[in-house]
Amino acid sequence: MNDRIAYCLVLIPALPLLSAVVVAVLGLKLLKKFSHLPVILALAGSCVCSLVLLSEVSREQSRTLEGQQDGFEQVVTLWTWANIPAAYDLPAAAGPALPSGAYETGPLSFRVEIALRADALTAMMLGMVTFVATLVALFAAGYMEGDRGYWRFFAYIGLFVFSMTMLVSVSNFLLLFVFWEAVGVCSYLLVGFWYEKPVAAAAGKKAFLVNRVGDFAFTLAIFLIWCTYGTLNYHDTLADGSTDPERISQLAGLPQLAEARSDLKIVPGVLSPSRIVANDYVTGGVATAICLLLLLGACGKSAQFPLHVWLPDAMEGPTPVSALIHAATMVTAGVYMIARCTPLFTASPTAQLVVAIVGGFTALLAGLIALTQFDLKRILAYSTISQLGFMFLALGAGTILGITGGMFHLFTHAFFKALLFLGAGSVMHAMGGAIDMRHFGGLRRLMPYTHATFLVGCLALSGVFPLAGFWSKDAVLASVHDKIHAVEHEIEHRHAEHDAHPAAEAEAPQGALAGWTDSQLATSRTVYWLLYYSALVSAFLTALYTFRAYCLTFCGEERIPQQAAHHAHESPGLMIAPLVVLAVCSALVGILCIGQWNNWGTNRFADFLQGAPSLAAGAITATKVAPEFHLQIAGVSTIVALAGIALAMYLFLGERSEARFLQRTFDLSGIDRLTDPRWVGELEQVWWIGGPVRFLRRVHLGPLATAAGYLLGAVSLVLAVPLLAGQFVSPYKLSQNKFYFDELYGAFVVWPLRIFAAILYWFDRWVIDGLVNLTGMIPLAAGSLMRSLQMGLVQFYALAMVLGTLILVAARLIWAAG
Amino acid sequence: MNELSLLYNYLLVGGLLFVIGLIGFLVRRNMIVMFLCAEMMLQGVSVSLIGFGRYHGGLPGSESSDAWGGAWGGQMLVIFIIAVAACEAAIAMALILMLSRRAGKLDAAVWQDLREPGQPPFIDQQVPEERTEDRVWPTLTPAGIRPKPDRDELLHRPRI
Repeated sequence: MNDRIAYCLVLIPALPLLSAVVVAVLGLKLLKKFSHLPVILALAGSCVCSLVLLSEVSREQSRTLEGQQDGFEQVVTLWTWANIPAAYDLPAAAGPALPSGAYETGPLSFRVEIALRADALTAMMLGMVTFVATLVALFAAGYMEGDRGYWRFFAYIGLFVFSMTMLVSVSNFLLLFVFWEAVGVCSYLLVGFWYEKPVAAAAGKKAFLVNRVGDFAFTLAIFLIWCTYGTLNYHDTLADGSTDPERISQLAGLPQLAEARSDLKIVPGVLSPSRIVANDYVTGGVATAICLLLLLGACGKSAQFPLHVWLPDAMEGPTPVSALIHAATMVTAGVYMIARCTPLFTASPTAQLVVAIVGGFTALLAGLIALTQFDLKRILAYSTISQLGFMFLALGAGTILGITGGMFHLFTHAFFKALLFLGAGSVMHAMGGAIDMRHFGGLRRLMPYTHATFLVGCLALSGVFPLAGFWSKDAVLASVHDKIHAVEHEIEHRHAEHDAHPAAEAEAPQGALAGWTDSQLATSRTVYWLLYYSALVSAFLTALYTFRAYCLTFCGEERIPQQAAHHAHESPGLMIAPLVVLAVCSALVGILCIGQWNNWGTNRFADFLQGAPSLAAGAITATKVAPEFHLQIAGVSTIVALAGIALAMYLFLGERSEARFLQRTFDLSGIDRLTDPRWVGELEQVWWIGGPVRFLRRVHLGPLATAAGYLLGAVSLVLAVPLLAGQFVSPYKLSQNKFYFDELYGAFVVWPLRIFAAILYWFDRWVIDGLVNLTGMIPLAAGSLMRSLQMGLVQFYALAMVLGTLILVAARLIWAAG
Repeated sequence: MNELSLLYNYLLVGGLLFVIGLIGFLVRRNMIVMFLCAEMMLQGVSVSLIGFGRYHGGLPGSESSDAWGGAWGGQMLVIFIIAVAACEAAIAMALILMLSRRAGKLDAAVWQDLREPGQPPFIDQQVPEERTEDRVWPTLTPAGIRPKPDRDELLHRPRI
């Protein structure tokens, strides 16, 4: 046990939480415009702790990796949250079983410890989150200045960083879900931060509701994991909840002692090194179900197709929030989760393929949409979706290279996307809140620092050598390429084997793809090839839309919107400093991760990440390949990126007449002219038609030409409907209207639900409430009958009494007689 | 005269008293008369109680005398009734006094506006007008705004 790791692990989430509480309590009355101070100090403290943690984990890793091969993890248990003894009796193990004896097999207790873990994956995420959060908080101190909710904003930011750091450091699926929801709540609060704006309130609601779909799948996945593995912990625990690794390793070596004492049994965690080494994972349908449900959960949080619709709307929040939550940190939670669950995904090749398809498709889709947007922040939002798609694509490759590549892209993307968003925020700040690129332009002289840093971010995002994006995008492409290579190799190998020993097919093949059937291999080869090319197209689109945004914002003649006419200025130093720091990181973080200068394929980041238990052992290690720099892939991706940049420069610098021509062409504009048959009459003015027609008239065959004209007119009338519809769904309009996803969801999900809700409302209002009201009507009616007796004269009351008594007496007499 | 015929006479007197009181209570509107009628009903009950006590209790020393307090059982109850009636009389007189002071008259119908809302008022019909002109009451010089006439008030005789 390393005490320094334990202290850091606790301090990293505790400091932001403390600052959030302080600001929430004292902000309104006491701190006021100094509300940012506690939060920034706490975040900086967390950042320092994260860096310490990173170095400690790295040192421990290099120390332990020599001895054992199952990675380094340290679990710090704070307290027990829930304990239900003997909650579940596990069915017989499905996969290759763990060595029996030392491990718990009987009824398992449902224990949830508040346990934090330190391993390479967590340390890396913590470092990235706290570093970006500190810079964004600094930026926000300038950006949000003078806002009425200044203290509220920083309280939310503190709360968000607490939730996010907990999300990546907890060691239990249930707690993961808790903080998964907590970051969702923070996102909701911050998207709807300016809740007086109806658009912002609606966007917050949309983000929350779309995420519910994913979260529902995520909960189902957690239930399935519990039913399959009998625990939700990542790590091994003793039956009494202790996680002391020395005791556990001791007991694992002494099965006879553990057999004698039930309290000394070990409960193997879902993602614990012992289970990973033994590869004790279910396969087949259950594994696929778990993984696909997890994937849907990740799709919700990471805004992947089909749940990507909330992220662009979330841009209604303050720009620092977009930078921190909706670009750098929260949206990467899905990627982190899938990388964390690598052993589960390795057990299901189908699910991996689906991950890759979702990622590749989303990358392409978002890239296409981003091409035609005019809202600077929305372009960046779609770019985020697209880059997250790249990460999913890499994770879907399912190899060590893919997962480390995806995480590497996550890491570098956090820097340059935060940079781009903060740059957009700086522009917005200067333009008095305008974000539509048609209203401003040519800001490079007005805002030199913002311009320079934004340019660095754009180059990094496009993947230009030697900036960060180049290395990570290259890693993603290389991982897909490697996967194709591995699949093809396996196919060839099987063919060769089949030819050599036609009868000896039962012989167990070795390697990561051993369990795959031939048809699976063939399908996955096709799919991965398609994904590889679509990824290249996406990379081209990335460069194109990024530089389109850059050119429209910073190049050309200077245009400033009215609302900023007099106070358009470069942002203050407090906002520029984070931009510069992030720009330096975006430029250098990729090249600094190269392990050896003579081999650019080596990646210190990837090596570090491979120390995490999820990646260090088990089936995934079979996909390990020697680090190699693929010059042809790097070359292709660079050419693609440069082509995109060049095209954007050509189209959007200067006149932009070609861009307008392209827009008109893709918009199919002019097609509506064809739906009006009068165009046939104008045809005669075209010389190669008019000449023959005149010739026909001269030889008295004029009616023939007229008939042909009428025929054409009739055809165009018939075609009018599809032509007009075609114009409605022209490529340009499709892209600009985001492929009508919002409208489709509106028509097929939102409105049916609304109608259903209206029916239920009607039922509740008139049937349920009607019954309740009817019950109330009975005494009312009875009362109105009796009320006429209460007419105020004492004599009538007395008479009523006398009559009543007489009736009673008469009844008594009749009863006695009968 | 045996015990049963003795009881019969008692009950007859008691019943007569009760019915006279009841009819008086039902037909008269003067609050004092109504109160007197109520008292009369009470006394009718008292007389019957004494008769029953005499009949059931038997003479002292008889078998059932211990269980029912002997012949004095009914009379004891009646003494309680008289005591309670005295208290009730005090309260009733105080109430009647207050009510007559407020309304200026003893008519119980004056207070019929205590009925349920929405019920039509009971209106006296074919009652000869009270002659007010030959009465001389001390009057005050009218001053201030004339209060709005109350509908219920107008239905009845004018107040002091």
